[in-house]
Amino acid sequence: MHSTTNNTFKGEMPPAAVSRKLHANADIQFDRSWLHNLQERADRNGPWDDWTMYQLAIEAEQSKLISSFDDLQCMRSLPAFEPMQHQISTARRVLHEMSGRAILADEVGLGKTIEAGLVLKEYMVRGLVRRALILVPASLVLQWVRELNQKFGISAIAQKKEHTWQYDVVVASIDTAKRDPHRDILLGQDYDILIIDEAHKLKNKKTTNYQFVNQLRKKYCLLLTATPVQNNMDELYNLITLLKPGQLGGQSDFAANFVVDKRIPKNEDQLQQALSTVMIRNRRGDGGIQFTKRIVRNIELSLSPEEQALYDAVTSFVRERYDESGGDLSSMLSLVTLQREVCSSRDAVFLTLVNMFKKTSEDSPVRAKIWQLVEVIKGIQANTKAEKTMSLINEMNDKVIIFTEYRATQEYLLQYLRSQQIVAVPYRGGMNRGKKDWMMDLFRGRAQVLIATEAGGEGINLQFCHNIINFDLPWNPMRVEQRIGRVHRLGQTNDVHIYNLCTLGTIEEHIVGLLHEKINLFELVIGELDHILERFEKKDGSIEQKLAKAMLEAGNTSDLRKRIDDLGNSISRVKEEVEAEEPLDASAIHAVMNSIAGQSVEVRP
Amino acid sequence: MNEKQVHKFVQRYLETTDCRIIEKSPAHFHVKLSPRADRDLTNRPFYWSFVDRTGADPETMSMLLVTDKQKYETSINNGGSGNGAAAAPSSQDEAANAALGRSLGYVHGTLHTSMRVPREELHYGSRKLEQLFESAKGGGSYVCLFQEPDKRGIHPHQSTAYTAWLGVNLKIEFACDQKREEIYSIGVSLATGQHIEQFHDRLLELRLTPRLPPNVHIAKNAVSLHKAAAMIEQTMERRLKSYDFNWAVSAAVRLQDELNTIEHYYDPLIQSAEEEHRAAIQEQYERRRNEIRWQYEPRVAVSAINCGIFHLQGIR
Repeated sequence: MHSTTNNTFKGEMPPAAVSRKLHANADIQFDRSWLHNLQERADRNGPWDDWTMYQLAIEAEQSKLISSFDDLQCMRSLPAFEPMQHQISTARRVLHEMSGRAILADEVGLGKTIEAGLVLKEYMVRGLVRRALILVPASLVLQWVRELNQKFGISAIAQKKEHTWQYDVVVASIDTAKRDPHRDILLGQDYDILIIDEAHKLKNKKTTNYQFVNQLRKKYCLLLTATPVQNNMDELYNLITLLKPGQLGGQSDFAANFVVDKRIPKNEDQLQQALSTVMIRNRRGDGGIQFTKRIVRNIELSLSPEEQALYDAVTSFVRERYDESGGDLSSMLSLVTLQREVCSSRDAVFLTLVNMFKKTSEDSPVRAKIWQLVEVIKGIQANTKAEKTMSLINEMNDKVIIFTEYRATQEYLLQYLRSQQIVAVPYRGGMNRGKKDWMMDLFRGRAQVLIATEAGGEGINLQFCHNIINFDLPWNPMRVEQRIGRVHRLGQTNDVHIYNLCTLGTIEEHIVGLLHEKINLFELVIGELDHILERFEKKDGSIEQKLAKAMLEAGNTSDLRKRIDDLGNSISRVKEEVEAEEPLDASAIHAVMNSIAGQSVEVRP
Repeated sequence: MNEKQVHKFVQRYLETTDCRIIEKSPAHFHVKLSPRADRDLTNRPFYWSFVDRTGADPETMSMLLVTDKQKYETSINNGGSGNGAAAAPSSQDEAANAALGRSLGYVHGTLHTSMRVPREELHYGSRKLEQLFESAKGGGSYVCLFQEPDKRGIHPHQSTAYTAWLGVNLKIEFACDQKREEIYSIGVSLATGQHIEQFHDRLLELRLTPRLPPNVHIAKNAVSLHKAAAMIEQTMERRLKSYDFNWAVSAAVRLQDELNTIEHYYDPLIQSAEEEHRAAIQEQYERRRNEIRWQYEPRVAVSAINCGIFHLQGIR
């Protein structure tokens, strides 16, 4: 008799949703899919769900309820994460004052990624963003993916194949994204948010990157750049046009209202006001970011007689080959490497010589000469640098990173340190991500020493260590800076000790002299070196090549010294140029940039 | 949700999904999942489709669910609970695990089922708890329940009158470029059409069962589900009309401002454009306008979190 209850529920199927005017400014939409489903189950008498699950479902929703328009909800779901105060207030302003379209233009090192992550997370928690596209330089893709996953609990995925685009939060390199077949896929989507890192690369309207980004459909948009203006005012205008066309008026209004010359703005106050509605720029405090000190020590070593013999033998071998070649530089570059390798370890030279031997034709007289060198190597029993390194390690009794350019040296050092009862782990570019991370974890934990051949590469942050030994030095100053930058960065609480091992009477002595005394590499403001090198290389070609050339062409030691001095001087000149130019060229623009609302952050690591 | 609330939530979830709790403390559960929970929590769709297709006996996973990390780790360090499979992973294991997790993304489970019990932190906002939430929602959407009659009041030969109610938990979203939400629970008597607010709270005071109790008769429904749903919508609409709409007014102002700004940008551009480019610029302008509407347009959306038919004592 009770089965009759169900019949009375019968009714026609309702439409899935209806929409009506609720207020002059807002429609109301009722989703009716629930009614449809309930009706269906009532008609069939089931299946019905469990009462406890029903209660749990509503409790879950209650706990996630977003009860106000304007607080920062995401923080309660990130218990282990403490952003800095300026990052939180930046996120709030983007959310509440800029409606989610902003240029995040903090100076380098203040955490633009964190700010963008907070904004993204908040929108996701509030259900305003589901689909996000994050376009970054290729080298930063994995770093972004890791930060979003680890710090923010956002399931971001690195774009690898075409089907990856289906995921909700995808990080991709802009150069991949703009190419077929990806391009059409992306232009066919609606993205709730688009985030672009290193957005100053979009300063030129005519580039394919710019046009591609301009065509993407998005609701919210964040552009991240530390340098919104590099050369002229148009760059700024173009960037803002991507975000909010017309915010600075039409192109002609902008030119008339704000531009005197392409480098010089006018009506700075209005310009600054207009910019403040779309841009946030936090700056380091007056003292700059309070980085800890770099304490540089050049450790000068004399090669043992056996090592010196090898160095001399290799040097004359290289010179002979150069003379034979009739001054052909390009084929000689690899030979110079030999000399550098002698300064590192006999293992490094040996490997290169063996390879050279194999490549040389069997009847060549050079083969015999190579073999002679190998004989000299056999005479070497100890490595002066390794022994010094060992005594440094004992002295500091602390975690330390040893950088070397050569795999063979790395292997040798691993063995050598093991024989001295020191726990050391390797790190190199060829390792896959997982292995790199594992080595990092081991170094953080049990190992006292990390021996690395690679300093670049994304995401290795080693602030817990504050000792670096440069077992040998790269010839590219930028790579030296990258090595140090792994350790000497935000979050480092100790002064950083840098030991440069330098063998006297060798090419190395000159390199250390150049980098340390001429470029003053170790004390440059972060970011400055970049600028100087770019300028220098545009004019003169790469420093590495210049050095190699000097090495090969110099007749004797004093000639070599003179050539390297010249090189140092021309770098110094560029440096002075760069430093002198800044205030002349861009001071007015920078004054405007620097008065854009934002905070002055005293970062005390 | 604080740690305690999470713990309580997890416990009820595990019990109601028939998971076998091997060991527990106020800070953790070590469980063997039921097939139902395993399907929802372990990210093994391929495994489960294999089981479904071949009819093989499923092997469910065990998990260590930590609801209070700090407390759990203190108790482990003090040599407290956590023996056998649930023992805290050594730091080396942890490092290896962390590295594995990073290179494989967040897919726990399939890879090291045999090796050790995967550990999951269930703090508010964690992905695993979010999965529990989703699972609860999926398994708690539509119910049909009966109030258990008072034992004392039962007369063996007398039939108690019951009324069927439609109960719905609604989520109301007020959205423009920002958003807030409310939850609203409402019940409508299918016999009389009268409605009750905070209906869910009332239900929580009652004992409910999926089985029809003996000696019960249910009043004839005068109102169809469809009609009742329409009444709920009307009630909500009336109620929402009395709300403060300043948020929508200012969002509409922002919307108009933005539209004006881009008009100011595109109008001269379109007029001065050469014929061959005009269409493209026009199209871009339209796209921008749509984006801005999408971003700012104030709207209110009402959807159901879950709903059910509740047969309650008395005729009302």
